[in-house]
Amino acid sequence: MTTSIELEKSPIACSEECLIRPGNTNCGGCGMSVGLNLLSRALAKAGQRCELVIPACCGIVTAGGYPTTGYSVPVLASTFAASPAFASGVAAVRDLNNEPQQVICWAGDGGTYDIGMATLSAAAERNENFIYICYDNEIYGNTGGQRSSATPVGAKTTTTPSGKIESKKDIMAIMAAHRIPYAATLSAAHPEDFLRKLDTGLHMNGFRFFLIHSPCPTGWKSEPAESIELVRLAVSSGLFPVYEVFDGWRYRINIKPTGADPVEYYRRQNRFPIDAMDLDAIRKHASASNERLARLAAVFPVAN
Amino acid sequence: MIEIRIHGRGGQGGVTLAKIIATTRYLHGFSVQAFGLYAAERSGAPLQAFCRFDAQPITNRNLIYEPDHVIVLDATLVGPAITSGLKPNGWILINDPRFPYEFAEQFPGYRIATVDATSIARRNELGTRSVPIVNTALAGAVARVLGFEPESVHEALEHLGFRGKNFDAASEAYERVIIVDDVDRHGARVTHPVTPTQRVPGIVDGGGAERPVIRTGQWATQQPHRKEWTPPCNHVCPAGNDVQGFLQALARKETDLALETLLRTTPFPSVCGRVCPAPCMESCNRLSLDEAVNVRDLERYAGDRGRAEVKPLATREQRIAVVGSGPAGLAAAYHLARFGYRVTVIEGGSSLGGLLRTGIPPYRLPREVLDREIGRILHLGVDVRLDTRIERRDLYRLTLEFDAVLVATGLQELRSLDLGGGGNGESIMQGIDFLDRANREVIRVDDEDVIVVGGGNTAFDAARSALRLGARSVRIVYRRTREEMPAIAEEIEEAIEEGIACDYLTLPIRIEPRNGDERLTMICRRMQLGEPDDSGRRRPVEVEGSDFPIECDRVLLALGQSADLSVFPEGSEVRDGADVLGLLETPVYAIGDLASNDGTVAAAIGSGRRAALSIHYVFAGEELPGLVPAADDVIRAGSLKMHLFESAPSHHGMSRPAEERRLDYREVHAGIADPSEAERCLSCGVCNECDRCVTYCPEGVLKRIGREFIFDYEYCKGCGVCAAECPRNVVFMTRL
Amino acid sequence: MTLELVTGNHAAGYALSVAGEANRGARGAACGIYPITPQTEIVEFVAKYPFSKGRVIAVESEHSAMGVSIGASMAGARAFTASSSNGLAYMTENIMVAGFYRLPIVLAAVNRTLGPPWNIWADQGDTLYLRDFPWIQLYCETNQEVLDSTLLAFRLAEDRRILLPVMVVMDAFILSHTQMETELPEQELVDRYLPPLSLPHELNLNRPTTVGGLTWPRETMSQRIEVDEAMERVPAVYEEHRASFKQIFGRDPGAAVSTFETEDAESVLVTSGTIASTALEVVRGRRAAGEKIGMVKMKMFRPFPGDRLLDACPHVRKFGVLDRDYAAGLGGVWWHDLRATLQGPRDGAMVQNYLTGVCGGDVTPAMINEVIDDLLARRSAGKPVWKGIDK
Repeated sequence: MTTSIELEKSPIACSEECLIRPGNTNCGGCGMSVGLNLLSRALAKAGQRCELVIPACCGIVTAGGYPTTGYSVPVLASTFAASPAFASGVAAVRDLNNEPQQVICWAGDGGTYDIGMATLSAAAERNENFIYICYDNEIYGNTGGQRSSATPVGAKTTTTPSGKIESKKDIMAIMAAHRIPYAATLSAAHPEDFLRKLDTGLHMNGFRFFLIHSPCPTGWKSEPAESIELVRLAVSSGLFPVYEVFDGWRYRINIKPTGADPVEYYRRQNRFPIDAMDLDAIRKHASASNERLARLAAVFPVAN
Repeated sequence: MIEIRIHGRGGQGGVTLAKIIATTRYLHGFSVQAFGLYAAERSGAPLQAFCRFDAQPITNRNLIYEPDHVIVLDATLVGPAITSGLKPNGWILINDPRFPYEFAEQFPGYRIATVDATSIARRNELGTRSVPIVNTALAGAVARVLGFEPESVHEALEHLGFRGKNFDAASEAYERVIIVDDVDRHGARVTHPVTPTQRVPGIVDGGGAERPVIRTGQWATQQPHRKEWTPPCNHVCPAGNDVQGFLQALARKETDLALETLLRTTPFPSVCGRVCPAPCMESCNRLSLDEAVNVRDLERYAGDRGRAEVKPLATREQRIAVVGSGPAGLAAAYHLARFGYRVTVIEGGSSLGGLLRTGIPPYRLPREVLDREIGRILHLGVDVRLDTRIERRDLYRLTLEFDAVLVATGLQELRSLDLGGGGNGESIMQGIDFLDRANREVIRVDDEDVIVVGGGNTAFDAARSALRLGARSVRIVYRRTREEMPAIAEEIEEAIEEGIACDYLTLPIRIEPRNGDERLTMICRRMQLGEPDDSGRRRPVEVEGSDFPIECDRVLLALGQSADLSVFPEGSEVRDGADVLGLLETPVYAIGDLASNDGTVAAAIGSGRRAALSIHYVFAGEELPGLVPAADDVIRAGSLKMHLFESAPSHHGMSRPAEERRLDYREVHAGIADPSEAERCLSCGVCNECDRCVTYCPEGVLKRIGREFIFDYEYCKGCGVCAAECPRNVVFMTRL
Repeated sequence: MTLELVTGNHAAGYALSVAGEANRGARGAACGIYPITPQTEIVEFVAKYPFSKGRVIAVESEHSAMGVSIGASMAGARAFTASSSNGLAYMTENIMVAGFYRLPIVLAAVNRTLGPPWNIWADQGDTLYLRDFPWIQLYCETNQEVLDSTLLAFRLAEDRRILLPVMVVMDAFILSHTQMETELPEQELVDRYLPPLSLPHELNLNRPTTVGGLTWPRETMSQRIEVDEAMERVPAVYEEHRASFKQIFGRDPGAAVSTFETEDAESVLVTSGTIASTALEVVRGRRAAGEKIGMVKMKMFRPFPGDRLLDACPHVRKFGVLDRDYAAGLGGVWWHDLRATLQGPRDGAMVQNYLTGVCGGDVTPAMINEVIDDLLARRSAGKPVWKGIDK
């Protein structure tokens, strides 16, 4: 049944297998925290451990004030633009020493879509052997909510006070164009799919890219309790396509949109000046994007 | 110079409050400062803001260590840190609905004011529901407490570009703030903060791995809790079965556990899985999504496929007689035997089962199924006396021989209908007698046209049996419509499939013999539906002048039965499941249809079980909880998060083709091949360990150990995701 | 040990490579590399080197080159890279990180004028401007010194009393592209000199430290004080490793501060890099002519070895500081630091700054003779004097 999350029934929460520790200072209802917990489960299921490389973003603030840390694994804070470079170094030495642990970059959209783009692209092009996870909350959350190139059209931020005019950057298309072994989008609304794809990535080598749609109650001006519901609406209305790309070439749609109207998604977040937005254009754009992906998946399917 | 320290949380607008206060003074010619203590501000995290103003220019650039007044944006922040360095006589303004005296003991020597800025902010729709922005309301309260000019806050808000309801919030708070100025001003325990100066080991010494020290539970304004509800199926099950429990076991493919769950309340899962009208399915919350869960077939699946051993739980001395071996009597015998009592079942007929055997045809309830379930009861060590009819004087003897007597003789009085003189004992007979003879295979109705009067299960059983015994045609005459028929809907459907005709809104008036042959003519009258009667069904009203004849060879009456209470002493009061109030010293219970006339196997089982529990309470003093759950606790579809469930069609069991099955007594219905239908059960109001709450807890502070869920309130920030994502309303939030 | 004719770049590339190779018994070597004139030959050498246990990652920018080396070092490998001029400027953010993370990374830096305009010739401004970060800086005069200092740099950086990255610096072209005879030590000797790296704060799955997270003022200040204490230990520890270098390789890699005839000198020239060679020739001549002049060669810039300089110049009243750099609004960087050093211990001493060969101009003996003439004739110090162009 869809409501039952068939995860490993081992009690991950509160255990040392959990990547983040109680007492971290993330906001209530933080989607990034949920993502880290799901990553914990995926690692536990795969029987793997990890080291994290985190650039400037809420993810590093999660650690809290030195000498304490909200993480239960080693974390290397990187400069904002350079987490893929730091991770390349760490992963190279890990491979030189034939060690099994994963090296994982955990970065926000600012560090991924914007300042870190060149570094990310270069590491992907070199097919470095680590996992890059972007938790995309579509905003510079750590600095109080400025636009990034991941901010969706229409959203008000402190630097787009009347709503962003430009569309969100299609990072998945960019990453696929690098022909990396694996790229996938993840939605916490579909945790089994989320974990399955992480598991796929954890059992591959080379550069693996994941994009998590990460609700941010503070930045999105939404109810913390509705975080998961929001990303669920984003998937059902086709605003956040859930799919995976192998070798930058072969596509598979994992969760099909149900055709729900995106208006409910927008209505529940105060960042969207819904009356001023061209919802028809948004609907058409979402529909066209999903149509494009569906065709790619039909013409270039994932071999079974 | 006046210095004010503000204690707030990320997202509450504490820094802005400092700015508003500073602006009120700035506009009146003061030198001011307003600033925050910046770190990594997080929504909900405690933080401080500061404001100082003076008639002279301010040169001090330090934090405020010894404030004149403090403002607390959230009562959960109230603690020793609030008064750190606070000067004696200082004001403590707290955002809280309580009266200031509530805090007086905690903060002796300080003046205290309270204002319910949160409610004011919510009323004025400032911020979100869970994080209301209280700063403009508190600014109004500050102005009142510190004696600023009443208009000064509005001036400041206007100067700062605030709009709309912020002005109303400020005014409201100015009016509503409660000020207590008469405390003992000399008892202040002023503490002077000390800034630590010792060194902290750096990264080359391995620093940076310690556990967080922040108790984020203190950020919470609400907390999650759990409560389980009664699913409607459990609530309505006449047998008292844990429907949800056995379905969830099946959903987990634990067929044996499903059977074990059922056997806690009923000895007859395989029987009920075939013949129960399943009120659970009518009450199923899933109906608001698509179709009810096919509980009946799943119970049959569990009963037929599960393996579970039932043993007496103890050995007890008391001897108990059960008179009658229908479902009520056997259910009582079963439970009493499980409790360890020495049970003797006394049956007037030559075999056990009562109506299950005599009244339900084998094509609906194969005899081997019935025998198997009865065998399980007998295996508990139940004694049986067959061919022993109990009259009133026999009952008296039983009360001497046994410690308790249960009477479960069912409905022996058959309702009849005076249809005049036509026909004889053979051509007009009771459906129940017909079924008994049919089931014993001592009657045939080859090439007869048969009419059955009635709309209950007996009517349909008789009709379908007649078909199997050679009838040329069978029609059912019923004075209401199909919707009012008490028979199980599926059985009506199947009967029609098999070629049985139904004359609805038809009332038999009389039967006339035909001249020249042995056939009968039944004169019937058309009916129409009028106002609802006591049962809620619309009362049929005769249509004058609509009489018409139907010809037939045989009429079977299935109009229901009633209880024969002549076995009890004169003056006894018969109550279901309770001691018969009579003249006997030994407890005597009337159970089943005899007591309640519910007319279903499930109700009879429930009655037997309740009587057994009641007797056990009398003898052993052990209270067994939760016989009938409170209706308040029943969860309805509106309380479930239906959007989290996907629509999925029900799995209906297979039936043999009508043309084939109508000719023999083999079982019509094949049941379902696998238990996946159980996965459709929403587990309404009952945690089925779907683990959504655990999975989605952003903090990872919700732990499940087996069936137990533990919220770590020390760290829970109260975001509410667990409750929002619980599909079955088990997790819910309460405000702190 | 073989004597070969190689460039300064070759010497640096060789030293980085054999040092990396020497860690093959531990966690190996890894680095990020990126080309820029005039250091490109260094990273080319490294990229071609057949490491037994190493990985050289050619990245997309200097910023990432240092980023990769930081990651590699944090993971316990011996890490290094090389850069120059605007490449160092672009790398700066991660240069800071390497220092504050206390990582023993060795950076071969070839001094090239910071642009614009586009100028590829020698000027120390590109490394001197990094003076405020926790890096040890060593300036070299010969190809041999480049090689030796690079090997010593690893030993010094990885010393648990120090744990600071080291920049080994040489002048563009004058060293980087000039062929000179240089002894290239065998791997076996290098192995003896450089023990396997064991980084105390290496990433460790069993110790979940967060390196570089939010740190409050007091905690951060504690870390700065630790840097300060490590920096204070550098000169003495340097001497230890210089001595053991001599023992193993039979050669002096050079003192932090070298002197010529300073014991009785009344005036000295303070020099660094290749200017020291030219200046020494001139000073030797003037000494021979009876003038009481000496010379100081500063090899170590950070930590600034002011005490050693003062000890070596007990009677000097006039210091002429030759800077191949220009800090806008100030003058020469070496001059500025020396002035601060003399304040107090040598009040009344005259310190005159000469801006020589700035932006790659050739510093000739004639120019140095002019400097000495000016210095000896002066009664008081003036503004920095630009040499080689009429101001």
